[in-house]
Amino acid sequence: MAFASKRLGKELAKIHGSLPPGITLVTAEGFQEWLLDIQVLDANPIYMNKTFRLKFKFSPSYPIEPPEVTFLNTADRPVPMHPHIYSNGIICLDLLGQQGWSPVQNVESICMSLQSMLTGNTKNERPEGDEQFVASNRRRPRDIDFYYHDNTV
Amino acid sequence: MDTPSQPDSLLSRGSHLSDPSQAYTFHTDLDNLSGGTTETALGASISSIHKISTLNLRHTVDLRAITYGGTVDENLVCPICRCPFVDPVLTDCDHVFCRACIDDALSHGELCPVDRLPLSQATIARAPKMVFNQLDALKAKCPCCGNIFARAILENHLEKYCLEAMVRCPGSLSEQGCTQVVKRRLSTQQCLHYPAQCPDCYETLEQIEMESHRQTLCRDRTKLCDYCEVEILRCEEIEHKAECPDVLQICKWAQYGCQHESKRRDLYLHADDCHFKSIGPMAEMLKVEISSLRDDVRNLTETNQLQERRIKFLESGQRASDRPMDLMDLSLASMPEAASTDSLDSGHDYLLSLLETQQSRLSHLSAELSDFQGKNTMMLFNETLPIKNELAELRSTQQVTCMHVRWLMRFRMQENQRRFGVSPGLASTGGPDGGNGFGSDITLSRRLSDSSRDVITKL
Repeated sequence: MAFASKRLGKELAKIHGSLPPGITLVTAEGFQEWLLDIQVLDANPIYMNKTFRLKFKFSPSYPIEPPEVTFLNTADRPVPMHPHIYSNGIICLDLLGQQGWSPVQNVESICMSLQSMLTGNTKNERPEGDEQFVASNRRRPRDIDFYYHDNTV
Repeated sequence: MDTPSQPDSLLSRGSHLSDPSQAYTFHTDLDNLSGGTTETALGASISSIHKISTLNLRHTVDLRAITYGGTVDENLVCPICRCPFVDPVLTDCDHVFCRACIDDALSHGELCPVDRLPLSQATIARAPKMVFNQLDALKAKCPCCGNIFARAILENHLEKYCLEAMVRCPGSLSEQGCTQVVKRRLSTQQCLHYPAQCPDCYETLEQIEMESHRQTLCRDRTKLCDYCEVEILRCEEIEHKAECPDVLQICKWAQYGCQHESKRRDLYLHADDCHFKSIGPMAEMLKVEISSLRDDVRNLTETNQLQERRIKFLESGQRASDRPMDLMDLSLASMPEAASTDSLDSGHDYLLSLLETQQSRLSHLSAELSDFQGKNTMMLFNETLPIKNELAELRSTQQVTCMHVRWLMRFRMQENQRRFGVSPGLASTGGPDGGNGFGSDITLSRRLSDSSRDVITKL
């Protein structure tokens, strides 16, 4: 845990200093689970005036291994509509998988990637087989083998 | 106690202190220390200074946990751990990482974390020396004392100099064989690991913890000040009393007779009304004046004594040099005194100057002596030269006379021959050495002395 907490300590210090617009830190108690809010800044009608809450779960081998990032579903923080985001908050993004991850990435860069993923989206829909996936999935997001087919996002 | 042979015990015996100081570890494993430096084994038997130095413990600084002074150049920060590089390596795609970081990353996939190009362990090389130099020069905060040092010397600083760093207890070198560690600033005293009683709560604890105990932990550490009723630490009671606003204090002119006494905070009210407020400063001034005058008097007395001593010395010197040369002596001896009476403060200076005068006089004398010698030689030469000449003249005159005598002799002999008909050959054979004409002449002249007298009379 030592390595991960040191790295996260550095990131937290930087986040406390400054964050890009549209990203705010909600809680960062300890170095295992952080909550951040993101907003889409341009006038995308799907996400206009909405704030989404992200949950980061860090493993002891972060940043060698990717963190587990999901959207939370609460009363005022819905899961955004996106063809790669399941309604239970699980995100299908290669950056967050074992293959696409790089230890150079950090919390801030993940948030910005998700921001831009939402900004560029025009389809107000869930992924194919969302209901079935949500009903049947008991695995943790990192163990799911997504097939990254869509290179447009 | 761990057995020292287990390498794992190294870290487990080193202590991690509370949060910020996780940045360093010290190794209390004595065998390891002596194995590394052999100082421990020697130091215990040599000198006490050496003993102190062997209290040092080896410190390992976690360069990822220390705080850096100022902002670190982004180019010197590892993209994986976000810390200034530790043992940096260069990939063949020109990216720099900490060695440990890239090793970890490559164990999960052989791609460069930055550009995702294939990357293998074999193509990683040590970063250029320049990068190391820049990293060594980074300003790092000591995790113990908080001072800023170059990163490269931090471990050395902790091991040898930092007052807040841990060292072995001085008791470890005495018979007690204390195995604890203490901060370096406490290591100059004796071993403080003995039980003592807290004077506040009567709890028994180790002396070494007493200070922090009395300041932060003791349940009876605070009390209300007897005067101002503010809560204070018992161990700082004396300091507080010196500035407590409710402590009774006497007027600042009390030594000149003011009887007033009031709380410290009210004293300023009295200051305006005090009857002594005009006399006080004057008295103060006079006091200063008097003390300075006293100093002056003391100085003058000293100078006076010194001068008296010098006069005595001079007088005795004069008596001793009561000789025919007296006059010259006096004139020379008085020279240093006349020239530099003011600068000669002490008897030593005076004696020295006297010595110098004597020396110059001596050299003067020797110069004169050699001069005199030269003159003498000259005179002697002048005198002897005419004598020599005369001598030579006399010698030549004598020679001439000799010649004359000889000539006369011969003449005389011939005269005799003629007169008495004696052949000169007979006369010469009659002498013991016939070859020597001169010798035969003498014998002849002797024999014929009567006759030659006749010749002279005839002549």
